[in-house]
Amino acid sequence: MNVFSGHISNIQVSKSLSMISVAIDNAHILKAILVETPETASYLKEGKQISVLFKETEVIITPEEEPLISVENKIRATIAIIEKGELLSKVTLASSIGDIVALVTSEILEGLSLKEGQNVVAMVKVNEIMLSK
Amino acid sequence: MIDWGPLILTAKLALVTTIILLAISIPLAYWLAFSKSRMKPIVETLVSMPLVLPPTVLGFYLLMAFSPGNSFGAWLQDWFGIRLIFSFSGLVIGSMMYSLPFMVNPIQSGLAGLPNSLAEASYVLGKSKMKTLFSVLLPNIKPSLLTGVVLAFAHTIGEFGVVLMIGGNIPEKTKVVSIAIYDEVEALNYTQANTYSIILFIIAFMVLLSVYMINGGYLKKFWK
Amino acid sequence: MIKAHIYKTLRSAAGKMELDIELNIQKGQFVTLYGPSGAGKTSTLRIIAGLLTPDKGQISVGDTTWFDKEQKINSPTQQRKIGYVFQDYALFPNMSVRKNLEYALEKKQDKNIIDELISIVELEELQNRKPETLSGGQQQRVALARALVRQPEVLLLDEPLSALDINMRSKLQDYILKVHKAYHLTTILVSHDIGEIIKMSDMIYDLKDGRIQKVGEPMSIFTNNQLSGKFQFVGDVIAISKQDVFYIVTVLIGQSVVKVVAQEKEIVNLKIGDKVIVASKAFNPVLQKIEK
Repeated sequence: MNVFSGHISNIQVSKSLSMISVAIDNAHILKAILVETPETASYLKEGKQISVLFKETEVIITPEEEPLISVENKIRATIAIIEKGELLSKVTLASSIGDIVALVTSEILEGLSLKEGQNVVAMVKVNEIMLSK
Repeated sequence: MIDWGPLILTAKLALVTTIILLAISIPLAYWLAFSKSRMKPIVETLVSMPLVLPPTVLGFYLLMAFSPGNSFGAWLQDWFGIRLIFSFSGLVIGSMMYSLPFMVNPIQSGLAGLPNSLAEASYVLGKSKMKTLFSVLLPNIKPSLLTGVVLAFAHTIGEFGVVLMIGGNIPEKTKVVSIAIYDEVEALNYTQANTYSIILFIIAFMVLLSVYMINGGYLKKFWK
Repeated sequence: MIKAHIYKTLRSAAGKMELDIELNIQKGQFVTLYGPSGAGKTSTLRIIAGLLTPDKGQISVGDTTWFDKEQKINSPTQQRKIGYVFQDYALFPNMSVRKNLEYALEKKQDKNIIDELISIVELEELQNRKPETLSGGQQQRVALARALVRQPEVLLLDEPLSALDINMRSKLQDYILKVHKAYHLTTILVSHDIGEIIKMSDMIYDLKDGRIQKVGEPMSIFTNNQLSGKFQFVGDVIAISKQDVFYIVTVLIGQSVVKVVAQEKEIVNLKIGDKVIVASKAFNPVLQKIEK
């Protein structure tokens, strides 16, 4: 599990859904969509310190610098370590907010010829991000 | 032929003693099983005294106490017109004291052996202690009750010392079988003594056998 | 609904313990007393029931005061309208299932409640049997039904399911929740089982050495961090296996086995038998109707 800590910078509410923006640092905001509102969950307050969680399997990697893709959260990073497995490989990405671990198929790793030291963009969909106090 | 008088008297004495003793022993055993009073060990000791004391000791003190020459005996006679020595009522009281532990101990250990939650469950359901005792506790210690009743009955049949001391040897009034046997032996009527003895032996055997068979070894546990 | 402030010095084999507990329970709540053995959970329940008298304090339920040391009020157990289910069930062995329930009837009470309860806990077939011929789960259902005959407002459950296997437990938890809702009860449960507690309770009092450590909703008590994931279950880790660059953790949730992919740093502190929360977002699971 990838965990980053930040504070809530914005909350958009629509019925029972909320879009929560969490500022990890000045340059990086991660967004999460929840079936909760500030009324149902007391921890949803602007400015509140919170952790952002997402699984390694949910991280998408692309070598393109400005990908046109329907994924909200994008973080620039450099491939630090690749550990190859038979089907899945573990890719550790170094970014300015810290290391991000991604689990991708070994096949696509070959196909995109991703290598250690390469610059990439790591992406996570809003519905894959969980918040934790 | 044999004189049936002592046998009938013995049966009557045992029956009356057992019934009254049961009525007294239930509350006493209940108190002993559940009380946390400091008096409890003393009462327990007193109840069990007849187990170790020679019956003649008990008989002697009862004779002293009930004798009209004594203030208590005189008071009983003056106020109630009761004379307890050399009478059937006196025998009943003596037998009750003598057989008390045989009735109280099984009932007490039966009650103490029930899980506490049984009585508590009844209280929580809004039932009084009395209702709980009669509807929940006693029905669940039937083997103990039976043991108490049978032992008290059998023990009363077999008693000699207390009876002799306070009852004397009055035909139809206080001459029970055990005394009659003694009498016949004194008079060298061995055949007569043998008849009485065999009858007592058979009764005692049957009574104990029935308890063993019904309770499956409860008595053994009690005697340990 | 239930307000209690209880002090009592308890003596046990483990030594002396000061019980000092304050409870404030709303009507209709399902509350659990949780904590290690000897923490004072059962004693608290017994004090509320009047089976144990506190040294100091007050207990009031609704508008009625059940205990107040200063005002010298101590209403006997019989007058406190409660249902109490004992750990050992405490069914009367001399009475049939139905007679056990009938015994609990109050004078002039409508007897229909007996049939109603027997049908709620599904004991129709067994109602003429003696308790000793029933299984543990069946006995527990009888005990639960019997506790409800007087139509109490407060139901006290002293580890009622601890002796049952996991299958039976889950069924009985459902029965308990059913009667809790059907009779608008305020229920206090004593339990060790975290899965059971999370499933059943609105509020937890976490007890240790006679004091309340924490009060709160189950999730906030049992997890250090509250997760936003809507899909949360408590389970036991039954296997951890390495899968070249990651791990697969097998978790038993109730009677279902689920598998979760995990990274090495997530499993370093995890061992078989540990309780875990399995969480996912409401967006991920898919539903599929089960055709009969």
